[in-house]
Order: sequence, then C-alpha cells, then structure tokens
Amino acid sequence: MMLIPELWNWDSLVWLAIGIILLVYFVTFKGMPPLRRFALGLGVAFMAVAFVSPIGYLANGYVFSAHMIQHLLMLLIVPLCLILALPKQRVASWFSDTPKPQLAKALVMIGWIGGVGAMWFWHVPNLCSVSTQNASIGLLRDSSFMLAGLVFWWPIFGPLESTRLSPPSGIVYLFSACLGCTLLGIYITFTNSIVCPVFAQSVDSLGIMASLQAAGFTPMVDQNLGGLLMWVPPCTLYVGAIISLLCRWYKVLDPETIKGPVASDHEPAHLV
Amino acid sequence: MLQPDSLGADSRRNLFSWICSVDHKRIGIMYMLLAVFFLLVGGVEALLIRAQLAVPKNDLVSPQMFNQLFTLHGTTMVFLVGMPVFTGFSNFIVPLMIGAKDVAFPRLNAMSFWMLPFGATLLYFSFFTGSAPDAGWFSYAPLSTKPFSSLPGVDYWIIGLAVMGIGSISGAINIVATVMCCRAPGMSLQRVPLFVWIMFMQAILIVITIPPLNSAISMLLIDRMLGAAFFEPARGGSALLWQHFFWMFGHPEVYVFALPAFAIVSEVIPVFSRKPIYGYAFVAGSSTIIVLLSYTVWAHHMFAVGLGMGPNIFFAAATLLIALPTGVKIFNWTATLWGGSIRFTTAMLFAIAFLIQFVVGGLTGIMFATVPVDWQLTDTYFVVAHFHYVLVGGIVFSLFAATFYWFPKISGRMLNEKLGKLQFWLWLIGFNATFGIQHLLGLMGMPRRVYTYDDNPGWALCNGISSAGAVFMAAGTLVLVWNILKSMKSGAVAGNNPWEGFTLEWATTSPPPLENFKELPEIKSRRPVWDADHPDLADWKSEKTPEDRGHRPAGAKVAAWSFVISEAIFFILLLVSYVVFNSGDEIEGPTSETALDVSRTGFFTLILLSSSLTFWIAERCLRRDKIGGFKLWLGLTILLGCVFIGGQVWEYSGLISNGITVNRNLFASTFFTVTGFHGLHVTGGIIVLGIMYMLGRLGYLTSKRTHVFAAVGVYWHFVDVVWIAVFSIIYLDVFK
Ligand code: HEM
Ligand SMILES: [Cu+2]
Repeated sequence: MMLIPELWNWDSLVWLAIGIILLVYFVTFKGMPPLRRFALGLGVAFMAVAFVSPIGYLANGYVFSAHMIQHLLMLLIVPLCLILALPKQRVASWFSDTPKPQLAKALVMIGWIGGVGAMWFWHVPNLCSVSTQNASIGLLRDSSFMLAGLVFWWPIFGPLESTRLSPPSGIVYLFSACLGCTLLGIYITFTNSIVCPVFAQSVDSLGIMASLQAAGFTPMVDQNLGGLLMWVPPCTLYVGAIISLLCRWYKVLDPETIKGPVASDHEPAHLV
Repeated sequence: MLQPDSLGADSRRNLFSWICSVDHKRIGIMYMLLAVFFLLVGGVEALLIRAQLAVPKNDLVSPQMFNQLFTLHGTTMVFLVGMPVFTGFSNFIVPLMIGAKDVAFPRLNAMSFWMLPFGATLLYFSFFTGSAPDAGWFSYAPLSTKPFSSLPGVDYWIIGLAVMGIGSISGAINIVATVMCCRAPGMSLQRVPLFVWIMFMQAILIVITIPPLNSAISMLLIDRMLGAAFFEPARGGSALLWQHFFWMFGHPEVYVFALPAFAIVSEVIPVFSRKPIYGYAFVAGSSTIIVLLSYTVWAHHMFAVGLGMGPNIFFAAATLLIALPTGVKIFNWTATLWGGSIRFTTAMLFAIAFLIQFVVGGLTGIMFATVPVDWQLTDTYFVVAHFHYVLVGGIVFSLFAATFYWFPKISGRMLNEKLGKLQFWLWLIGFNATFGIQHLLGLMGMPRRVYTYDDNPGWALCNGISSAGAVFMAAGTLVLVWNILKSMKSGAVAGNNPWEGFTLEWATTSPPPLENFKELPEIKSRRPVWDADHPDLADWKSEKTPEDRGHRPAGAKVAAWSFVISEAIFFILLLVSYVVFNSGDEIEGPTSETALDVSRTGFFTLILLSSSLTFWIAERCLRRDKIGGFKLWLGLTILLGCVFIGGQVWEYSGLISNGITVNRNLFASTFFTVTGFHGLHVTGGIIVLGIMYMLGRLGYLTSKRTHVFAAVGVYWHFVDVVWIAVFSIIYLDVFK
C-alpha cells in the first residue's frame, strides 16, 4: 500500500509550515547542541509523516484510524518535539522577570483544557465531518491541534523553569489528561453509533476501500481501532512523561540550578 | 495492656475508652483485630469449601450453601480482611514513620473505622434472613439481578459494600492528608520511608478505585429495588456493563492489596539485610506508575466475553506492561538481599517466601494476559491458583512479615520466634500444597465455582491434597493466635528498637506514648534512626536527598480535593451508563427529546451556576472579615441551591404524572439515576452550607478559618461542574 504513488501528497502545504519553522528556529537560535536539533528534526519529520505519507491521504475521509494517527502526531508528538527543541537558557533570557504565579496557573489550566478539549471538540460528529471535507476548516483544526499541544506540554517540558509544574502536580496533570482521553477513547471504541459520518461512507476514488472492507476492515472496526488509538498511545506517552517527571523529582537539585543562571551560554547535554 | 494510658483502668471503662478513642494507634489496632476476626470467619468458610471439595461427589453442604460460602469467603477476605488490615497498619505506622502526633483527621478516622463493623453486620445479617448472597464476590449480572436472585441476599451484599466503601474512602483520604500535611520538619516527600510512600499511593488508589464499584452497586440496587433494567439483557440492559464497571474497580483493587505488600517488604528486607534499600527511587517511582497503569487493564478479566480483536490485543499489551514496574521492584528487593548480612528472623522468612510466591503468581498472571491461554484456562482452577498465589502467597505472607516486624512496636513485647518459625513452615507447606496443585487441576479442566465434581482421573487425589494443605494453614493460624496471646502476657520486652530499624517509629518507646514522640531525631536522610545511631556512617554524609522545603498544604483542602476527585469518578461512570444506553438505536418510550423541557431546565441551570458566583463572593467577604456580607451572600447561595432543587422537584413531578418513572425504560432509569444522585449531592451541599451559615452567625467562622469554608467551596463548585456535564449530555444531547 505504501507503494501506491497516489497515496503520497507530495504537494502538501505542510512543506511551507515546515520551512517556516526551520527558518525561524535557525535564525533565532544559532549553534544549538545536536540533541536539540535532533528534536527539531524529529518534530518536522513527524509533521511530514502526518500529511505527506499515506496517513495524510487516508486521513482525508477514508480511514478513521489514519485520521486519528494524524491527530495524535499533531497534538502530541510534534509539539512535544518542538518544545524539546527550545533551549532553556536562551528562552529564559527573553523574560527579564519571572512570570507571576497566577499566569503560570492560568497557563496550566489552558494547557490541560486545550490538550484534552481539542480531541473532544473536534470529534463532535458534525465538526468531525466538516473539518474533514472542508480544507480550510481542516487547516484550522490541524493548527489548533498543534497550538493546543504546545500549550499542553509547556507546563511539563517547557523551557521556562518558572512556568513548569512541580513533578507531583505534573503527574496529576498528565494522569487526569490520560483519564480524559480514555473516556472519549472508550466511547469511540465501544459505541455502536457512528462518530464521524464521512468515514462511514467514504468516496472510494482509488478503489482501495472495497478491498479493505472485504478483508474485514469495516468502518466499524476502523472506528473501534481509532478509539483505541486515541486512548492507549497517548496514555502510554503520558506514562513515559510521568516517568521522566519522577526522575526529575528524585534527582537532587543543587541550589544553583533551581535559581537558574540566566547569563551563561552553556547548554546542558540533556533535553528535559 | 497495649496503651500505657489505659494501664490500670478498670476493664469496663477501658473498653469504653477504646470505643471512643480517636488515637490513630488504637484505631489501627481495632482495624487489625477486626481483620483477624474476619480472617478466622473467612478461614472457616474456606475450610468448609475445601472440605466439600475434598472428595468427588461429596454432599457435605448443599449447592446453594456452597455458593453462599464462596461468595462470602471472597467478599469477606477482600473487604473485611484485606482492606482493614492494611488500613490498620497504615493507621498505626504511617504517622509514626513521618514523625506526626496523629493522623490529619482523628475523628474522621474513628468514623471510617466504625463504618466497617456496621457494614460487616449488614453483610452477615443476611444469614439470618435465610439467604446469604450467593452470586460470587463479583456478583455478575444477570445472575445478581432480581429475576435470577429474588431473595434479599444480594441486597445485603450491596448495602454492606456501600457502607464499607464509604469507610474505606474516608479512611484513605485521611492517609493522603496525613502524608501530605503532617510530616515532621526535614522529611521531604522524597525522604519518607518506602512504606509511607507506597501506602500513600495505595490510599490514592483507593480514592479513585472504589467509586466505580459504588456506581455499579447503586445501579444494581436501583435495578433490584426500583425495577430498572441496567443489567438485565432481557429488558434491554447490558450484563457486560456490569463486568466493565466491576473490573474497573476490581483490577485496581488487587493492587490495593499488592501495594501494601510491596510497602511491607520494602521495610523488612532492608532492615534484616542491614543495608539501605537498593534503588529507593525505582521502588517508589514504580509504585506510582502501578497506580496509574492499574486503571488501564481491567478488561483482561473479560477476554472471554467477546470484546473483539482490537480491545483484546490492547488490553493484553497493557497487562504485560503493568508487569514491568512489578518486575523492577522484585529486582530491587533481590539486589538488596544480595551481599547483605541477612538475619533469618521469622519476619524475614515470610518476606523471602513472599518474594518467590509472588513471582509465581505474577508469572501465571502473565500467562493469562495472553488471550488464547486465557480462553483455555479462564474459569478453571488455574485462575484460583493464580490469584491465591498473589493474594495468599504474596499478600498474606507479607502480612505475617509485618506482624512479626511491628508487633514489638505495637505491644511492647516480642513474638516468640520458635512458634513463628513453626507457623512459617506450616503455612509454607500448606499454602503450596493447597494452591500449587490447583494449577494442575486447572490445566486438567476442573471448572471453578462448582460445588462438586466427577471422579475424573487424578481429580480426587489432587483435590485431596489441596484440602489437606488447608488444614496445615489452619494449624499455622492457630499457632499465630496462640503466639500473640502468649507473647502479650509473657513475651520478651522489646525496647525501643529491637530490630535495629532505620525509620522513625523505632525512635520512640514500644508501645509509643499517646503523643507518639517525646523528641524527634534530626531528619536529614531517608534513615534518620540509623543516622542517629551511627553518626559517623550517617546516610546524609554520603548520599544527598532532596531537602524539605517546608511546604505543607492545608488538610481541609487536600481532603476536599480528594473527595471531589472520588465523586467525579462516580458521576463519570453514571454518565457513561447514560451515554451507553441512550446513544444507540431508538429506544421505545420517552427519550430526552420527547420528555424533557430544555429551556426550563436551562433556566434552573443558570440559577445553580450563579450560586457558584455568590459563593465566591461570600468567600471573599469572609476573607476580609466582612461577616455581614458573608452571611448575605452565603444566604443567597443557599437560596439559589434551594430554587434549583425546587426546579428539579417540579420536573420530576411532571414526569411522574406522565407515567415516566425509573422503571419505564432505560432512558428514564438513567435519567433519574444521574439527576437523582446529583440532586442528592446538591441537597447535601445545601445542608453543609446551612451549617456554615450557622457557624458564621455564631461567630465561629472568621477570616482565620477561611480554609474550611474554601474546602466546602471546592465541593460546591464541583457540584455545579457536574451539572454542566449532566446538562450537556442529557439535555443538550451532545453525544447524538
Ligand atoms: C503480574 C501481574 C498480574 C497479571 C499480569 C495478572 C493477570 C490476571 C488475569 C489476566 C486474570 C484473569 C484470569 C481469568 O479470569 O481468566 C487475573 C485474575 C485475577 N487476578 Fe491477577 N494478575 C496479576 C497480578 C495480580 C495481583 C497482584 C493480584 C492480587 C493482589 C491479582 C488478583 C487476581 C484475582 C483476584 C483474579 C481473579 C478474579 C476473579 O475472577 O474472581 N492478580 N489476573
Ligand atoms: Cu486484573
């Protein structure tokens, strides 16, 4: 299937977005350590996968589970990579005084509601269909996913120490987010009603749907798989993030790193 | 005799002083005594089960009686032994280990305890009605519904569980608040003994895992009492939903038992190896991960019900995943033993046996996680063997380790080691004989939950061995009881620290005085008592641990949030059931479109939401000591709440006069269940607000006590948030 040339969107708009991201990054941050550049590279690579590869094509009204994979990449993976690509000290130096605690708190609320809410919002049946059929609403959806993802990960892995959650609160944040997507995931997995009507009657321009369905991959199976995808991989990712928070928590912080020397150009070797 | 303050008092006052006690040590002991009592009761039930199964075609007890026995055995062991005994240890030990005077809420603690005997009485009272519950500890529907269990046994089961569940949740909230708010200076959360950390995790797990059970049993009760049909497939309900809800509780529940066992051996093994635990952060962190993961694997109890390929594969994978954090811990304990100078005390023997037997149980668990293997073995004695290896071989053995380890602290006297070793060997032999052979029986296809069996080749022998083993365990238990009675009278005097332990409970007398500590050693590492005893080799000199920043949240706030989280899960599951029953094909009879008046309820919704606003203003007034404004806005809040309830009464009476009642169809059942429980919560909130109002009038509530009022606020706002969800799902039909 990977080999069918029609499934690849080589002329996708996403190249433009990738170009802009790369340009902005390399103009703003010069001489980043390889690990950060790698995170950036990974981020844009996943963007390309989400739209250029067959996932992008199938997500466009053919296969619900592909559409779900695309969401996950845009909401969770790509923003995570991009945030990890940001150098701590450089970003911190932009902000002369530490943000107010209220601001940090508000950011956390917005992050959680955005991260969990985006998935719920775009799967209200009508919105789900419309955003798949109408390209500009689709664009709005994808950029809102990305934005929500950035705000969602900010309190966990963001470069500003002062807007980060303490590890225990971070664990609560991620765990409750996991419950949030679990609920929707369970619903989509086990429900008998159609969540996203376009995928139930997809226009089969390439003639692949018929063979898929013949192989038992009916729209219902497809939808169940989509539900599981929305549920299990994000939670696994969150558990991974929780493990990294636990490591951070049990590490002994010497007082200097807590205060955060702003001026030095030295970048630590690790990402988080 | 256990408490210095009770020494010498005459026995009647003595007993009374126990009943009225709010001291965490006494309540802890009462929890343990209750558990021991029911361990004997449940044990006798088990012996009767094994006696019936000892030979083929036996008729010692009737089939009916057999079902009652295994139902009560399971229910008793889970709710009246497992839960209380660990809560008891937690109650006694945790405050001592963190250098606190008592738990955060001593009176709540006493209430939590007394719920248990109350619930237990309800459960066992069913015997006198002539119908003890007999649908299994899991009460699978539709067997547990009215058409198949018409006698009141299941009702007693439900109500008993509900009462005990309330006790468990409030007890757990207390532990959470204690660990968060009452630690002695210097004890950062990264420095608490592993027992404390893991019991903290266990308490959190209880707070989030009992609500699904509560949702399930309230729905079952509504089915049985009010004629709804949530779990009756014949009337459109779903028996599978019961299994989902039950195992959403049931699987995490097994970790509610496993975590304390981990907690105990994480203390016992290091002390008797004379080494600090290997990889503290791994043991602590992996326990946290287990809490999170335990919530994601429930459906592995349901591989055989036909969930479909996708869910089966995902749940199998998740189940394998959860074995990892357990594996990490096994590795850490083994590494702690490695190269330690081991003292083979009875406690240590039990801990080591735990390690081995738990691994066996874990391995059969992993076998079950493989779907095809599960299909072959589910509902056979292989399952019985599996969970008894984890529950008895693992958890009960760790419990014995804890008993021998902490008895000196609790009573001031040592248990007899000779009797201890006798008990150990009796249990080791008896346990493995009884349950080891059941693996074989399961493989040979003997089904579980049958009252007798044919004389198939080998079955009689295996069952005979299994029953004989039970006798050894019973004998071992009698040895323990004898040991306890004897040692309390004439055991060797323990002194403060008989085992050369590391943690704070060993820094005070045995038994500890009412206020726990005369003075505390300095806390600069994870082993303060070791540091005090060996100043040259003190841990903090060689290994840095995160400093205590001194942050201790207000207990009321922690309690309010924990409670709200627990209630949120309860409502979420009720709402899930609404969606399940109202989003599919058309249902006959009234639906939300035809029966409900959206705009009218919309109006009352605004009323309720504005009460959140008025509450907020009242809180601001209180903070600024404007008592007049406070009373005004609080009064308004109460009024708005009452108006909302009035609206609900209006709506209900309209529906009922149109013949729409709980038992009409599944829409009506789910509608009344969800809104009814919400209404009860609003009513409860109004009562609490009323009390606050009175306190304000009497001058007890001032700006210094805002945290109590703020905690009430957390609840009140929560009730409003729930209503937003209820309104959008039921009235606005967002899922259609
Ligand atoms: C490595 C970890 C574990 C795995 C992978 C595992 C897996 C499983 C599976 C797949 C079943 C379902 C078998 C069936 O009914 O067909 C099961 C049953 C059971 N497990 Fe475990 N388990 C593990 C640990 C535990 C622990 C730690 C406990 C208790 C503390 C426990 C208690 C039970 C109980 C009580 C049942 C039977 C419930 C019933 O049907 O009444 N398990 N386990
Ligand atoms: Cu399980």
